[in-house]
Amino acid sequence: MLNLIIGFLLLTTVAPKVEVLNNWMRPSSKDMNTAVYAKIKNNSDKADTLYSVSSTLAKVTEIHETYDKGGSMGMRKVDFIVIPAKKTFELKPGSHHIMLIKLNQDIQKGKKYTVTYKFRRAGEIKVEAIASEKAVENSSKMHNKK
Amino acid sequence: MKILKLILKLQVSILLLLLLTVSGCKSDFELNENLKGFSFTLSDQDGKTVKFPADQKDKIIVVGFIFTHCPDICPLTVNNMQLVQNALKTDGMDDVEFIAISFDPERDTVALLKKFAALREIDERNFKFLTGTRKEIDSLMSVMRIVAVTGDTTMIDGSPSYFYTHTDRISIIDRRGFLRKEYPGSKANIEEIVNDIKKLR
Ligand SMILES: [Cu+2]
Repeated sequence: MLNLIIGFLLLTTVAPKVEVLNNWMRPSSKDMNTAVYAKIKNNSDKADTLYSVSSTLAKVTEIHETYDKGGSMGMRKVDFIVIPAKKTFELKPGSHHIMLIKLNQDIQKGKKYTVTYKFRRAGEIKVEAIASEKAVENSSKMHNKK
Repeated sequence: MKILKLILKLQVSILLLLLLTVSGCKSDFELNENLKGFSFTLSDQDGKTVKFPADQKDKIIVVGFIFTHCPDICPLTVNNMQLVQNALKTDGMDDVEFIAISFDPERDTVALLKKFAALREIDERNFKFLTGTRKEIDSLMSVMRIVAVTGDTTMIDGSPSYFYTHTDRISIIDRRGFLRKEYPGSKANIEEIVNDIKKLR
């Protein structure tokens, strides 16, 4: 019985409703812009919505998508991203990304920076994104904060 | 009679030329545009004047088009050029020039280009970042068929912020100064570019 309870507790702590994994961002410098990427994993059996992202790194933080219009590439702001139940949504180069406009500081290769994702159901998830020129495979630690 | 022979000779050579052109089309290079006559006066990341493509004559040039305020696409393009540079270096080829040209000269100053290169640990020995006057950049863009249009400008902390919707491109120019092939810059296949450069040597 005790085992069962411990098992249950482990299960609930090990698999939070939504996980923001493989967090990384491109190195950049003060007053410039950069993009943040991640894998958003929805473990719950209900869809969740990413409606905002915040950080103290830049003057403006927005959810963006890159689009291809006949070989011409552009970006636009999106209001939210829906992550279906039991699905993973990837923020990746050439696609959806978190846009940091007018950085307050340099983003140096190899260093980690905090970004907070806000979900309708899962609440706020604070992550540390590593500055790198390409995607990182290991997932950085995250703190769930309601 | 002599004239008739001359005409016949001429016809044969025209036929030969046509055959050559046709077989040329079948190669890996869809383009063969002469850029030799052009010389755009630009500045590199060290503030040195560069005449493009005149100064790079007799070398294969890998050209990309970027703006440094671009967070997603342009860093990918530059990174792809860097990967090609590294691959060629591994194969002992360092006689290829890499040139990233800004289509946002109003903001892309020499100092900013230098910072952009340093941040990405670019081997600047054969990798240049060029900027210039709006007029010079515009005529270069039209020759190389690059289109860049600004989106809405928003004011952030009193200074304008805007982004470009732009042609995503890496091109190669051969030793004779002819534009030979174009690739989708951010999505380019590194191996394909490296192999094409080897074929052009
Ligand atoms: Cu963006």
